[in-house]
Amino acid sequence: MLNNVVIIPTGDELNEGIVLDTDSPMIMQEIIRLDGRCNILRSQPVYDKEDKIIECIKSYAAGKADLIIIIGGSGGGHRYEKTLGKDYTHSALDLILKEKYSSVVYGKNGHMWSKLTCGKLGETLVINVPGPYDEACAVIKAFCRAYKADKDDLEGMNRSMMKALIGQYGNQEPDRIIQED
Amino acid sequence: MEDNKIIVQVDKTVIKIEGLSIKGLNLQEVERIISNKLNSLVRIIGVTGKTIEMDVYGIEEEDILKDERGIIKAVSLAEGITLSDLAQISRVKKIKSFDIDHIPEHNGGCRGERWL
Repeated sequence: MLNNVVIIPTGDELNEGIVLDTDSPMIMQEIIRLDGRCNILRSQPVYDKEDKIIECIKSYAAGKADLIIIIGGSGGGHRYEKTLGKDYTHSALDLILKEKYSSVVYGKNGHMWSKLTCGKLGETLVINVPGPYDEACAVIKAFCRAYKADKDDLEGMNRSMMKALIGQYGNQEPDRIIQED
Repeated sequence: MEDNKIIVQVDKTVIKIEGLSIKGLNLQEVERIISNKLNSLVRIIGVTGKTIEMDVYGIEEEDILKDERGIIKAVSLAEGITLSDLAQISRVKKIKSFDIDHIPEHNGGCRGERWL
């Protein structure tokens, strides 16, 4: 049962009001569909800085959140092109989650499009979804289905979420899968 | 636990438009407008107060440049975007593909940065 769920959008452009956050309401709706009894908090957007994201996740985890969902910052971003947004969510999750499972999707140019992670911080389940609305929608729906099937199967959740993500690009089956040692 | 790495083969072109004034933009609306204009999948990948950057799938660079004014006009239809006189497509670049079997290992960041 989910008692407390926290949605954390990331991005300087959200904080500055340049872009509307349409992902959070959509995710809230999906979580309510998953468990209509839970409390859901949408956090103030976090600036794209690794330490700020980590601080925010740890703070909500310490506050007994059952599930934390972080939106955006899942791609290569500024590492690929300096004009693009700073994407730090995936690296922040790598730093703080010990028990986790991740999948990474790359474009044909070697650019990391998105890294999705499911992990545990203490008793709190932490996941991330990509920023683009359609992809975020597909991924959160897949998460909800997988969570309902087995809330402790991090690998199963993560694989379902990634399959839903790449399905958005017309690739139901990935061209290549590389297992990382 | 092991990580899963997936490579997706999709052609895309990156477009950057500058000379805009942006506030309160609904990205889905812009994506829908451009997508209808180009008849292709579009994803916004970067927005500042003055610029917008997007991935367009399956469209060649020259086709984008041929219809520059039409694309800028289409973008301006989105609520939250105002055009300045200097509005222009400042960058159109089709991504280059690389031999996936020879991607060097790179810890802690995007593999793409090695080539760009």
